Amino acid sequence: MKRFSNLQRLWFYRVLTLITTAILVHILAVWAAPRLIMQVLMQGPMAQTMNMQNQAAFPPRVTAASRTVVMPSPDLLYSVCVFDVTAGPLRISANPNLKSYWSIALYAANSDNFFVINDRKASTTPVDLWLVSDSGSRSTLPIPTGAQVVVSPSTTGFLLMRVLTGNYEAEKAVIEPARHTLTCTPA
Amino acid sequence: MRNKPGLGRWQRIGIGFALYAAAVTLGLGSAWWVLKKAPWIVQTVQVGAWKGNLLAGSQDADMYTRSTIALNALLALGRDESMYFIASEDDAGNPLRSNCSYHVEGAPPKARWWSITAYADDMFLFDAPNQHYSLNGTTARLDTDGRFVFTTGGQEQPGIHWLPTPGRRGMVLTLRLYNPEPELQAAPASLVPPSIKAVGVCV
Repeated sequence: MKRFSNLQRLWFYRVLTLITTAILVHILAVWAAPRLIMQVLMQGPMAQTMNMQNQAAFPPRVTAASRTVVMPSPDLLYSVCVFDVTAGPLRISANPNLKSYWSIALYAANSDNFFVINDRKASTTPVDLWLVSDSGSRSTLPIPTGAQVVVSPSTTGFLLMRVLTGNYEAEKAVIEPARHTLTCTPA
Repeated sequence: MRNKPGLGRWQRIGIGFALYAAAVTLGLGSAWWVLKKAPWIVQTVQVGAWKGNLLAGSQDADMYTRSTIALNALLALGRDESMYFIASEDDAGNPLRSNCSYHVEGAPPKARWWSITAYADDMFLFDAPNQHYSLNGTTARLDTDGRFVFTTGGQEQPGIHWLPTPGRRGMVLTLRLYNPEPELQAAPASLVPPSIKAVGVCV
């Protein structure tokens, strides 16, 4: 029976270590990528410039110069807010009152879309959301009648409001005031 | 002769360092390749030249889908709210190039609103001189058969909506469907895909 030499055994363990480490790095990179990208989005230069921490911000219309988030839609007018419910709930309100499509979507720190409300779901009722952390106690919150409680799976995340604008120049007098009804403030 | 044991130790350290560097490179490189170049790793549906990810924006997304979406379509919405189909090839299976012209034609999809947008291969908009980045349910003029048509490329064709795609690089077309009809949500493969045909010669 052929026995392996010490050198062969050494290289076997070296290659085994290489493969194991490569697999672990691969899994870690795939797992971490969306979280890192969200961190850059929430803490990066645009977030700092627009001061969107727990308050609504209104980026300009998408153009070829818009290079913060991949695949920006030129047919949507975006409004944003980086939320942090560590210290307490966040109240999100909006009343766009538009006949065309709009939506408010909430994204967790891992990039999952965990909540969305659009014009059809909201109907004519103004949006009034109380965003709380998974660990927060809801029973002690002074939630007004008609408000909706939304539990965030992460303490930080991103709010994206989309307002449809198939023809911005013709519609801006209506849709700009509509999107500026968005507020995002600590409750 | 007294230097040999020391040299051996440094050799082992060097080999160990090289192996770990190779392992990290292999791990990061394979992750990048899988997320950017191997779309079959995630659950997709293909209709014509268009591919859609069924779990985009969903909390049910697996690790690979979540990462792929974060890299290529961050902040996507779930299928009940919005559906996304991306074409990186024409109907003949050739990769889309910005220096080629394409004739895109179809019927409005079964959704409340739709748009088709041209992106460069970095997933950002082309610097279109006329600021026409997309054709959508508002701007599309339908013919007597109820069909829309537009062209992409470096040169405008008279009488047809034109999406300029300057430069010589790869490109993709993204079809967005907002509030797709329930039957389309349930069966994304039932989408009647817009055709993408190359016209003329690439410049």
